[in-house]
Amino acid sequence: MPKKTRESRETTASAAKSTPTAAPDSSASLRRKPRSKAPTGHPTKKKFSLINIWIAGACLKILLFTAYYSTDFDVHRNWLAITHNLPLKDWYLEHTSQWTLDYPPFFAYFEWALSQFVPQIVKDDGCLSIVEVGNFSVPTVYFQRSTVIVSEILLFLSLQWYIKSSELKEKQKSFVVASSIVLSPGFLMIDHIHFQYNGLLFGLLICSIVSAKNQKFLQCGFFFAVSLCFKHIFLYLAPAFFIFLLRSCLNIENTKNLKGLKKRKCSNLELLFKLINWKRLFGLAIIVISVFTVSFGPFVYYGVTNNLFRRLFPFSRGLTHAYWAPNIWAIYSFIDRLLIQLCLNVPIAPKILNKLGFAESTTSAQSIKSLMLNSSSTKGLVQDIEFVILPNVPPSLTFFLTIFYQFFSFIPLFIKPTFNRFIGCLTLCGYSSFLFGWHVHEKAVLLIIIPYSFLVIKDKRLLLTFDLLIFAGYVSLFPLLIKSNEWVIKVLYTYVWLLIFYKSFDEICSSSSSLMTRRVFYLDRLILMYIIGFIPLVLICSFLDIFAIKIPIIKKLEFLRLMAYSVYCSVGIVSSWCALNWLYFLDESLWN
Amino acid sequence: MDFHQRQQERLSSKSVFYNSPCYEFLSPFRPVQNQWVIKYIITIFAILIRSAVSLGGYSGHANPPFFGDFEAQRHWLDLTINLPISKWYYYKLGYWGLDYPPLTAYHSYFFGFIGKFIRPGWFQLDNTNGIENDDLKNFMRLTVLISDVLIYFSAVYFFTFCFFKSNKKITTNGSQGWKKFNSLNQSITIVLILFQPCLILIDHGHFQYNSVMLGLVLFSIVSLLYDQLSIASFFFILAISFKQMALYYSPVIFFYILSLCFNPFQKRFDFPRLFAVAFSVILTLVVMFAPLVIFNNNFKDGLLNIKQALIRIFPFERGLFEDKVANFWCVTNILVKYRTLFDLSTLKTLSLGFTLLSILPSCLVIYFHPRKNLIPIAFASCSWGFYFFSFQVHEKSILLPLMPTTLLLSNVNDDEIFKMVCWVNNIGLFSLYPLLKKDELVLQYFVIGFLMNWLIGNLNINCVVNNFKNLFKVKENSIKNWSINFVIISSTVLALILHGMEVFLNPPSRYPDLWVVLNISFSFACFSTFWFWLNIRMFQIRNN
Repeated sequence: MPKKTRESRETTASAAKSTPTAAPDSSASLRRKPRSKAPTGHPTKKKFSLINIWIAGACLKILLFTAYYSTDFDVHRNWLAITHNLPLKDWYLEHTSQWTLDYPPFFAYFEWALSQFVPQIVKDDGCLSIVEVGNFSVPTVYFQRSTVIVSEILLFLSLQWYIKSSELKEKQKSFVVASSIVLSPGFLMIDHIHFQYNGLLFGLLICSIVSAKNQKFLQCGFFFAVSLCFKHIFLYLAPAFFIFLLRSCLNIENTKNLKGLKKRKCSNLELLFKLINWKRLFGLAIIVISVFTVSFGPFVYYGVTNNLFRRLFPFSRGLTHAYWAPNIWAIYSFIDRLLIQLCLNVPIAPKILNKLGFAESTTSAQSIKSLMLNSSSTKGLVQDIEFVILPNVPPSLTFFLTIFYQFFSFIPLFIKPTFNRFIGCLTLCGYSSFLFGWHVHEKAVLLIIIPYSFLVIKDKRLLLTFDLLIFAGYVSLFPLLIKSNEWVIKVLYTYVWLLIFYKSFDEICSSSSSLMTRRVFYLDRLILMYIIGFIPLVLICSFLDIFAIKIPIIKKLEFLRLMAYSVYCSVGIVSSWCALNWLYFLDESLWN
Repeated sequence: MDFHQRQQERLSSKSVFYNSPCYEFLSPFRPVQNQWVIKYIITIFAILIRSAVSLGGYSGHANPPFFGDFEAQRHWLDLTINLPISKWYYYKLGYWGLDYPPLTAYHSYFFGFIGKFIRPGWFQLDNTNGIENDDLKNFMRLTVLISDVLIYFSAVYFFTFCFFKSNKKITTNGSQGWKKFNSLNQSITIVLILFQPCLILIDHGHFQYNSVMLGLVLFSIVSLLYDQLSIASFFFILAISFKQMALYYSPVIFFYILSLCFNPFQKRFDFPRLFAVAFSVILTLVVMFAPLVIFNNNFKDGLLNIKQALIRIFPFERGLFEDKVANFWCVTNILVKYRTLFDLSTLKTLSLGFTLLSILPSCLVIYFHPRKNLIPIAFASCSWGFYFFSFQVHEKSILLPLMPTTLLLSNVNDDEIFKMVCWVNNIGLFSLYPLLKKDELVLQYFVIGFLMNWLIGNLNINCVVNNFKNLFKVKENSIKNWSINFVIISSTVLALILHGMEVFLNPPSRYPDLWVVLNISFSFACFSTFWFWLNIRMFQIRNN
């Protein structure tokens, strides 16, 4: 009898564990109702510390020391050598290796600082020699890999700060966001296998986001200026910061004050003067200008500015990268390829296309063949891709489209600059630059995912679009790691990350009251199907990869695999962008 | 239920794992509807760690003419697909001839078949000796990983599930003891067993297929827990025909089954059951060895083939021990030179006698008390005995005693077992250091060792400080607790000092192997301490 009761109690207890009264222990968990922690009155002081995640992550990352690294590794090694051996003024002039220094000055300073810590054994290994192609072995790899792990601490600190600065009842959510970012497969694949310092760079960006959340505008400006001087890719996000900080210098929300001023019949000029928070404006200006002076000043002094900017903004590259980043241009190129095949194989297709307004000279089979012979574009392995049937895209168009879509997201932000709107605008800026930008890397998808992570906890409606984004965004990074050795790691790590955070975000996102009415049932199912579609995509592409050497036909289709990845992922990212736009512009309640 | 009562209950359901990082990571998924996520997380992270280790070096990398275990396994894949079965055990005995039982050969054949399908160039008998490239390495690593996941992982899951279920029922001492056998602790136990550092480093670093054999043994233990004796013996024979080293466990399983079927002292005579077991053993053996006979010219050649296989499998012509191993013979060999004092046959008898003596306690205990919760501890005790005294032991054999020893961790009620098992796992890892250093796996060795200890909370600052404090509180602790604490702390510190000496000092030129010899002598001392503790423990718990 006692046995039986014990068993039954156990089952009830385990069944009731999700309710707050039965299991005080689990109040520390990612439960559905984090609020119920307070009423029970137990001393459940969960620290929400990221330190354990850091240790576990560092262990895994140290094991990856021996993994594949891309040419970026030699790039950074070369920068170490340049900054260590040459005087400041020659940093942006040196061109012995093809991997010239093309990051802004703060990053160069950072490399210089790192080069001070290079131990003798690594120096002897050839880490600090300026040569055309790096000649190094294990010690250099270990050293540089460990600098990535150490510099990533900034990312952890910034996110710990984010957790610390959030309200008590929000801490649970903040912790999930923070852990999702620090564990992100993007950082694992790009930083710790492919080799870059994104952890450090995004740490700075997150610092500025957290300052914006805390309404510390000067701090925000400072951190963003610094991160801009570390990597100029953040220029894509700069407009949002600019508008947000500019708006913070206006006193409009103090409408009473405004009305009072009007009543007193001040002159327009005086009104304008009162409208602007001059102290903050000047403070911001001074901070930003001084940051840029410290960073670019020495190079201006030495008169190498021209060189520096030519290095930072190389417009000679093509529209898309060798592997198309999953954006609009991937779909555009895909349609072009499709039309080529149609014109070549379906006799009636050129006529239809002519009717639709394409010139005959581009659609006839002969001209296509001659064009394809001229440009090796169909192989896709060259930097420049020319379109055969569809019109070519000039850089100015991509620039215009990016600015155009960014501009629209500024308007609501300018009218009502809440933190939510700011992050929404930041995310949309990331989206439009990623989707329409010139020569976008697939790695830039982090520019969307990271800001979006801060946003998604606000409302469950955002979750669906976020899911689309993370699945498409992270899977699109797979072709970055070409060796077979890391296949298990990249696929399983991404899989388990998506599993954990798909589940966790689903549990902690606040559901809005109007959720039931607004949810589109079929859309949910469609998204789920799209997500499940990644499994056959990855598996089939990997199998084709294995047999590529054995069967020559597959070898020829190498580009097809990459195209499948980028087109499938771009569909997800574009539709998540559309959905976010919808919510951003039409759902007022979400953002206040 | 008032506050204090609830508090009390909560404390009592806290296990040794409470406050460990592992607990912290998994507890968010504690609600029942999320339990399945935990299983995924554990499995995938166990795979991830394995494949991260497998990026490192392997045995015999770029070391001609014989290379190492990696080349041995590749060669077996190669020869099984390219030769008829009748020649498997005769081919190139001087190089890496097949010297494992047939199931290994079939296993090699299976993966060799796939490998040849993917890249025919990897397996071209004779032409591809010592071939090394990234894709081949990755393929071979994947074969280990797949076998590991399919067999060992599933066996561990079955075992913990079954062990927790049966323990929940029988734990009666203390009103709340059963609470510790909850599903979260079950998951943590799975982590502890799956993340056992030695197995990861040997299988996925050094390169071997031990997890297959250990997994099959574990399946056989699970069947014993389910009272399925025939199935247990079936799995056990599979394990033996994969790797003959599984014989280390055979006395215990033999006496356990015998005791359940034929025990005059407890008046149990279940001959049909005994017959069923015998039938299953013989049938499995016949099925395993039959292909050696069937795919042969005639019956006589077939029998000769089996004889040759047996000669290859049990190489009594080799030495008493291989390389440097932390067992009785190798360590005492420093003082007493057995090889010069005795000839080979005397040594064989000597080692046989010592081994029989050493396994006696576990066999007796399991025969007179055939209880399920004694199975892991008896397996452990018996295999430690073999490790210390049997013939032809090498350092990798430490995995055999460590496997059942690690299973003891599933007894989450017992702090003492937890401490001792963690400790002996660490020492076992330490004893593998010379081998791993040869394979260029030092980085992996330190990372995995640290990770495992940290994950289960052994490196918790408070915990470490407390242990040190207890060292000076002789009166407050019982002598037993104090001495356990003392042994653990002093040996851990000593092991760290040995590592430090090895890094900073060169061995004297007269004794170039000094560090290795110190390593194995020290490890042997710790192992034998643990073994004594284990046997005492076994006697203590034989009745409850």
